[in-house]
Formats: sequence, C-alpha cells, structure tokens
Amino acid sequence: MTAIIEARNLSRWYGNVLGISEINLEINPGITALLGPNGAGKSTFMKILTGQLKANIGEARIFGEKVWNNRRIFSRLGFCPEDDAFYEELSGLEFLSGLLSLYGFNQAECSRKARQALDLVELADVADRQVRSYSRGMRQRIKLAQAIAHDPEVLILDEPLSGLDPLSKRHIIKLIKEFKNAGKTIVISSHILPEVEALTSEIILIHQGKIIARGDIYFIRDLIDTHPHMIRIKSPQFRQLATTMAGEDYLLKMAFEPEDQAVIFETHDRDRFFNRLNELLLSSPLAIDEITSPDDNLQAVFDYLVGK
Amino acid sequence: MTTEIKRVFSFYFFLKKKSSRTKIFFLLSSAAILLAVVIRVYRLAGHWAENSQIIFQNILMVFFLQFLIVILALFYGTSIVPEELEGKTWPYLSSRPVSKAAIIIGKYLSSLAVTSIMLLSALLLSYFILNLDRDFQLKDIWTVVSYSLVLLLGLAAYLSFFTFLSTWLAKPILLGLAFGFGWENVIQYFPGTTQKLSIVHYLKSLLPQYTSASGRLSFLFIRLEPTSDWLAILILLLITVVFLGLAALLFSNKEYLIQD
Repeated sequence: MTAIIEARNLSRWYGNVLGISEINLEINPGITALLGPNGAGKSTFMKILTGQLKANIGEARIFGEKVWNNRRIFSRLGFCPEDDAFYEELSGLEFLSGLLSLYGFNQAECSRKARQALDLVELADVADRQVRSYSRGMRQRIKLAQAIAHDPEVLILDEPLSGLDPLSKRHIIKLIKEFKNAGKTIVISSHILPEVEALTSEIILIHQGKIIARGDIYFIRDLIDTHPHMIRIKSPQFRQLATTMAGEDYLLKMAFEPEDQAVIFETHDRDRFFNRLNELLLSSPLAIDEITSPDDNLQAVFDYLVGK
Repeated sequence: MTTEIKRVFSFYFFLKKKSSRTKIFFLLSSAAILLAVVIRVYRLAGHWAENSQIIFQNILMVFFLQFLIVILALFYGTSIVPEELEGKTWPYLSSRPVSKAAIIIGKYLSSLAVTSIMLLSALLLSYFILNLDRDFQLKDIWTVVSYSLVLLLGLAAYLSFFTFLSTWLAKPILLGLAFGFGWENVIQYFPGTTQKLSIVHYLKSLLPQYTSASGRLSFLFIRLEPTSDWLAILILLLITVVFLGLAALLFSNKEYLIQD
C-alpha cells in the first residue's frame, strides 16, 4: 500500500539554522504523533506538508503528489496551525463559512458545514459571537473546527490540545480518535506527553531537526533497554540497601534522597538488578515502602534518546 | 482560475467590509463631504463667490488625486501580504485549494472594490453638494463621471503597484510612502519626459482642467507636459496589469515565513 504521506530526504534550513534534516518517513492512516521539544522541527515539517514552506532538499508527497504549489491536494487536507491567529472581526460562523467558501462550496453548504463543525467542537452556542471575544480554549477549538469543516482525509494538527481545559481536551481527544476510526490520516504534534499517550501509540520522536526514533509506544519502550534504567526505592534502611548493592557490576550510579528516605539506582540490566533485590529481601530484614521507576514513561524515553 | 479568484474576492470583500481599517478610511474619505458642506454653507452665506466647479476641481486635485487615492491604495495595497504574515493567518490561506496567483488577484480586487466604494461615494456626494443648484446642467454629470473614471484608473494603478511591493518586501509601507508622497509629488514638476515616470502624470493628463493655471492652487499645474488621453489610459492600464501580473508571479514562487 502506498503511504498517504511520504517524506524523502526532507531537509530545510533557515539561513544557517537547521529546521529539519534528512527526514525520511511514511505515514499511513491512523494517528501519528510528532513528539519533540520546542524548536525540534515539528512545525517546520508540518509547514512543508501544508505547502507553507519549500524543502531545500528532498520532497514531501501527500496522496503520491508533491505538496509545494499543488492546490489540488488541499481539498483533501485540513490543517490546524499552532499560532493563535484569526480574522478577529468575524464571528465563529463567519470565520468557518468564509474559509469553507474557498473550497468552492455554495453559501448554503458553507453554512451547513460550518454549523456542523461548530457542533463537533461544542461551539454552536457561540457561533454568532466575534472570535475576538472567545476564550483561549474556544479559540483553540474553532481552529480545529476550520481544519475539519470540509471533512478532509488528512488532518495535520499542530499542538491542537494546547490551551484547552481538561474537559475540552478529553472531548477533542475523543473527536480525533473518531476521525481515526473513520479511516483518516492524522498527524499531530505535541510536546505534552500525556496528551500524546492518550491519543496514539504511534510516535515519531524528533529532535534538532532529525527523527531520532519511530515506532509504537512498545517499540519506544524497548529502546529504553539499550539505555540505563532508574529505579527508586523508598526504605527506612535505604543507606544499608545502597551499601549492599554498591558492589554489583551492573549498577552504574546511585543517588540519595534522604528527606524521602529513598535511593535511586541506575542500571543497564534491570532483570539482574531485580533478581538481586529479591534475594536481598528474602535473606535480610529489609523493609521496602515503595519501588518506582522514575523513567517509566514517555518523557523518560524521550530524555534518554535525546541524551538529556 | 477565475472561480478561485471569485472565491477569494468574496471572502475578502466580506472581511474588509467588517474591518476597522475600512471604517477609519471611510471616515477619512468622508472628509471631502464635510469640506463640501462647509464650503456650501459658506457660499450660501455669500462669502465665496468663486465658481463651484473650480472649487471642486481644486478639491479633486489636492484631496482626491494627490491624497485620497494614494493613501487608500498605499494602505490597502501594501498590506495585502504582510497582513496575513503579521496576523499569522497565512496558514489558513496557504492550506486551501486556491492558487497563490488567485489569492493575490482576489485580494487585489476586493481591496479595489472597497476603496472604490469609499472614493466614489465621497467624490459624488461632495460634487453634488457643491454643484447641485439652479445652474446645474446635464453635462455636469458627464464631468463628474469622467473625474470618477480617471480616479478609478489611478486607484487601480496605484493599488497594483503597492500590491507588487507587498509581495516583494517584508515592510513595503516605507517604500510605498516614499513613492506615493515623495516621488509622485516631486517628479511632476520636472520638465520633459522625467515626469512621465509617475502615475500622477497620466492622471493629470486625463483631467479636463489640467491646463488651468488660475486660482490659488495653480502651481500644481505648472510644467505639466500632458500625454494624449488614449496613451495615458493605455499606460495606466498597462501599469495596473504589469504590476499585478508581477505580484502574482512573485507571490506564486516566493516563500513567505511567519516570524515568531
């Protein structure tokens, strides 16, 4: 099957500053998340996909067609930009209807589709209010509404959940998942990890303009095995525990948190560490209150992979 | 592409009708109406005996020709691209199925439509306020129609030039100001062919009273070496088409970055 979105050797600089470098990827239907810190190159990649920027090297294709100056593909694509920018004088309904008219829909269709999109993002009751009077969350939702109003097959959403209250966030996440279930291709960028985890397990980690890892959440987790693990143990005898473990060759580092009566071990062999810990617990009167892995989440994977 | 231009035109005409900029410039253009009312009242009180046609020609030359059409074209034309970039609304346009040339031409036409409405309403109202009396003749209607057509031609040409500047420069307003109120004002006093390197030269050539050397503002007419009517019209149309074409071409191939 041909991928919906393809990037081949995609590179882009802003003068001497690198935007993205040698991005090669294929994106198929479903939700794919671009994850990376600010300035990682997520927005540059999305701007190339939406025809705002031209790649210096390589090319981006959507539905097998080149993106730059190719207006045909834009009737099948919806884009939610990151910036909080609008035609402020317009009401929510006028904003959506106006943008829909650029697709060639007649006035009645524009109005119907605009109202439908406003319903979806739960803004129907403020449809006639000027966008300038909307709250941050409402503005974020109307931005999403303009991306989905024409029922596109591909959705490119740049930080679509930022500024939303938890309730709206949950609603939008549900909506995006419904698009996925309808067979659409959704590319979403975020630097807020729980949001990404709530949306998809298909993740692309991007840092300093390069893709540093790609895969589902489990694949990313596997990557962690090539990196040290952190295990935090809270115990009244945390010093004794540290002394006992200190000689083990798979142990890389130890750090103390005396105020919490805890010790953090860093190991590159989690299995051997836990085997030894079990032995110790059986053979000595060590009391353990809590064992946690501070790095057992997406943020930790990301931090490891970018070498934080 | 015509349908795409129509779509862009409709959207932006609607948008411009609602914008606060339009309200401000509508008020500014109404200054001519206010001036006409004041003069009319003054004349009714028997203070200003000069022919009202001559008075209107002075308003036409100073306010409409050398100020209003230039300032309207300058502010609407030079903002065509920067307003999308500075307002960060460019992604909404660039991700729609309309060509970039259609965006420029559609936005140009919507600006021309809005500014033409302002210009014509101010021009016609002020003319009739000053001249509608017992001496008013049918031929006076042709006079005001010809003034309107000349000013519309001028507006179209200036707007096209400033639209081109907006596709070319990040901050086109400064060069626009220098051109509209510097170059255009100074160059017309140069003798020979140099004065033909301005838009205002062809507009003055078309105005029926260009040879008038009477009145307080006669200095505005000195040194004008007029171009023939048809050639002036042709050159104004050519300026409009060439600069609009260049703007569309440049905009289609250039990349525009939103500054964070």
